[in-house]
Amino acid sequence: MKLPRLRRKGPPAAPLTSTQSGWLGAAILAAQLPQALHVPIWIAVLGCALVALRLWLASRDRARPGASVARIPSWALVIFAVAIAALLRASYGYLLGRDPSVAFLYVLVGVKFLESRTVRDGTLLVCLAAFLAITPFLFGQSPLAAAAALPALLLLGATLAALAARTPLAVAAAAPRRAVAQAGAMMLQGLPIALLLFVLFPRIAGPLWGVPQGARATTGLSDTMSPGMIAELTQEDSVALRADFAGAPPPPAQRYWRGPVMSRFDGRTWSASFVRPDGGLPTAGVRSVEYTITLEPNDRPWLFALELPSALPEMSTDTSPGDVVVSRDRQLVARRPVGQVLRYRQRSQLADSHPALPRDAMENLRLPPEANPRTRALAAQLRERHADDAAYVEAVLAHFRDNPFTYTLAPGTIHARDPVDGFLFESRRGFCEHYASAFAVLLRAAGIPARVVTGYQGGEFNRRGNYLIVRQSDAHAWVEAIVDGQWRRFDPTGAVSPLRIESGISGALPDALELPLFARLDAGFLKDAQLLFDALNHAWRRNVVGFDATRQRDVWRWLRLDPALPGQAVGAIAIAGAAWMGVVLGWLAWRRGRRERSAVLWSEVCARLARAGLPREAHEGPLAYTTRASRRWPDYAIAFGAIGEAYARLRYASVPAREREALLATLKRAVEVLPAPVALRGGA
Amino acid sequence: MTLRPASQNVPTAAKLAAVHQQLAAIVVGKEAPLKLALACLLARGHLLIEDIPGVGKSTLAHALAATLGLRYSRIQFTSDLLPADVLGVSVFDERAQAFRFHPGPVFNSVVLADEINRAPPKTQSALLEAMEERQVSLDGQTRKLPEPFFVIATQNPTEQIGAYPLPESQLDRFLMAIEIGYPDPGAERELLSGGDRRAKIAEMPALADPPTLAEWQREAGSVHVAPALLDYVQALLAASRGAGGADAGARRGLSPRAGLMLLAAARAHALVAARPMVLPEDVQAVFPAVAGHRLAGGARAGALQAQALVRAVPLP
Repeated sequence: MKLPRLRRKGPPAAPLTSTQSGWLGAAILAAQLPQALHVPIWIAVLGCALVALRLWLASRDRARPGASVARIPSWALVIFAVAIAALLRASYGYLLGRDPSVAFLYVLVGVKFLESRTVRDGTLLVCLAAFLAITPFLFGQSPLAAAAALPALLLLGATLAALAARTPLAVAAAAPRRAVAQAGAMMLQGLPIALLLFVLFPRIAGPLWGVPQGARATTGLSDTMSPGMIAELTQEDSVALRADFAGAPPPPAQRYWRGPVMSRFDGRTWSASFVRPDGGLPTAGVRSVEYTITLEPNDRPWLFALELPSALPEMSTDTSPGDVVVSRDRQLVARRPVGQVLRYRQRSQLADSHPALPRDAMENLRLPPEANPRTRALAAQLRERHADDAAYVEAVLAHFRDNPFTYTLAPGTIHARDPVDGFLFESRRGFCEHYASAFAVLLRAAGIPARVVTGYQGGEFNRRGNYLIVRQSDAHAWVEAIVDGQWRRFDPTGAVSPLRIESGISGALPDALELPLFARLDAGFLKDAQLLFDALNHAWRRNVVGFDATRQRDVWRWLRLDPALPGQAVGAIAIAGAAWMGVVLGWLAWRRGRRERSAVLWSEVCARLARAGLPREAHEGPLAYTTRASRRWPDYAIAFGAIGEAYARLRYASVPAREREALLATLKRAVEVLPAPVALRGGA
Repeated sequence: MTLRPASQNVPTAAKLAAVHQQLAAIVVGKEAPLKLALACLLARGHLLIEDIPGVGKSTLAHALAATLGLRYSRIQFTSDLLPADVLGVSVFDERAQAFRFHPGPVFNSVVLADEINRAPPKTQSALLEAMEERQVSLDGQTRKLPEPFFVIATQNPTEQIGAYPLPESQLDRFLMAIEIGYPDPGAERELLSGGDRRAKIAEMPALADPPTLAEWQREAGSVHVAPALLDYVQALLAASRGAGGADAGARRGLSPRAGLMLLAAARAHALVAARPMVLPEDVQAVFPAVAGHRLAGGARAGALQAQALVRAVPLP
């Protein structure tokens, strides 16, 4: 079978002018820059250097018009591109994936620019650059990323305008500022349609690209706890979660965000037991709160909730980590790790106790037999004096209060073999995990079932957006013990440093400089700006990035569209889009009509003078014609002068909009002054 | 009548009006050629005057130089004129034991090259190259010509025996080619009754200096050109190439460079007319002078052709 030849016939393609190349170069650089942070440094430099090389060659050609034009042959560029692909394969270890593909595109745009000669190449290049400009969103969808994409978008629009200009004169006449303004105006006109598509166009549930995002290293709580781990986490000021409350958030002392619960202890490290999905939910009580949590990805299947969760989370994003269960330890656990931002509605009962399950007491008593002998001795000694469980717990808390314990991020080295002994009897300096661990060991040694609960405590209230920010630096560990058949919450850290619970970590540590900047209280206006930005970021997450198929169906329902028939939504888009285009086109026509009112008036003048016996010659300009008319009818010289001047300025000068109106008015008045053609004929 | 100029042009417009007035007092009754010569200078072009002797060509050149405060020289072209007579020559200095360059008459701001078609082609092209490059290369050394540099060349269209008419490619070096023509009776009367022109020129005050003139030239380059005017210029160019059935018998069309020169000349003309923008009237005023010698060999024939072209192209 013979295939038809696809070569286009017709005139040779128009070559790119130097102005057009300049526009292309600027647009490509603007598209490359936001991406430069995500690609390896050598790629970032190389990609921009290729663009610079082309611009430099072009300027050299301009400087020496007669000389032979420098060309880099296409085959050399192809070899170059293949070499880059091989290098990328070697440096990443794979080629088909987000990172190497984006890096390859980054360089390829530069290569293509080097060999672009015609306007057709230029148009193709604009498409490539536009694609490059969206790749940063594969890495992060923050408002900053959106803002960084704007210059590229504007320049690409202006470049398209420059490419569309047919003649060199027209290209030269289009000043850069005007071209950018035009591109901006067109984008603003398109904005409602983009919004319409964003809100109404049927979405695919789940991320569009199917790019696994789990490759990112995330910090957060772990399912084990050994001395020093939470103190290390305190150095992170990244956000763990944000919580919007319907009313006022609970007071700081009740903000215990429950995370992994640790029942197993090997003398040094606490670790979580297997998840058993048989935990119950308390029935909603009086002190029930409702809130929405926006959870940052943490690569763990844990969902956080205030103690104690009284309902299963209600997902309001499409990206669900699978079914969520309440574990036997009263922790919310999902089927899969949280790899993307997750939003869910949650209900909790602000309680510091809950009933123990039958086998809980048995499972939370075990201690390694040889470890921490001095701690056991202390427990035995205290137990002799306090036979009652509650009194014993009080005595242990008093022990922490009354002895010179220090709450610090830098506890120093602690006895390696028996860390609890080392902490309790030697250093007496520790962070929440030391206190929680020692407390739980003292309780277990006295026969009281106890376990360590980790999670976050506190959170900063952002007045700007009315929500709580909980950071990694709010990570905390506390203890639950069974007293009188109930699990009760005890926070030994609070016994040593009540401020930690009341005003957060920055209030509790004397030397705030050890803390990350944004976790401190005294950062002043910087803090304020940071809170403002966080509020913006949160709103963006919630309303733009978080606008997914689930939320879209709500909007459809609100608009009385049937979610089961996506065709209805498409129809609505078509109707609303057409209406908006009608508005824009009508407005443009109205403006053109206003602009050309001068032309209408001018042709009226010409027609009237022609009837009076003085037709305008086809080539005659406004001044020449009105001067001729003034000579013929000197009585109306002033009116003719005003007409000629106003029309000439309206048509050929660059007049600001305000002055334009005044000129139009002058022109109109002067035309009204002219007598009818018959009178003119008679008066001549 | 004039249009209200944009505010930043007011001083320039007033000064240019004074210049024009002073020139008109010397070159009597020649409004249009004067304006064209001034526009040509402001557009950084060179001027070719085709006319018989005695109509005031050198008076015009001399008065222009004096009024604008520029150094003036005149070269009478003859059949034995050598390039060195125009450009200058290096002479061996016995005392200094070195060659010393004696700059020729071309090293002046306003140069009148009288009867340029009398000199052999080699000498002609020496001048024309200097005009184009605005520099002189001699003995392997490049010397810049003064800025501004404005050449007014004249040629006598009637006496062609023993002359070397400028080839078309050389004509292209001139922005404008104009005729001056006989004065009308009134102006001639004033001329005859008036005193010595040369003495008057010597008394004239300089109204500008080279930096001012450079500023004016810059201003002329930035006079506003509306898209509607570009449409008109493109229509004229297309018509000169015989497009759209408006072929007015053009022997050859206008090049894109001719289009750019036409715009530059029209801008300068608008500045002389104290307007902040170019009107079709400006384009039409300079079109015969700019396009004439490019369309046909001589200023007169070309100008007639150009005028016919203007009449044939309606304002868009």
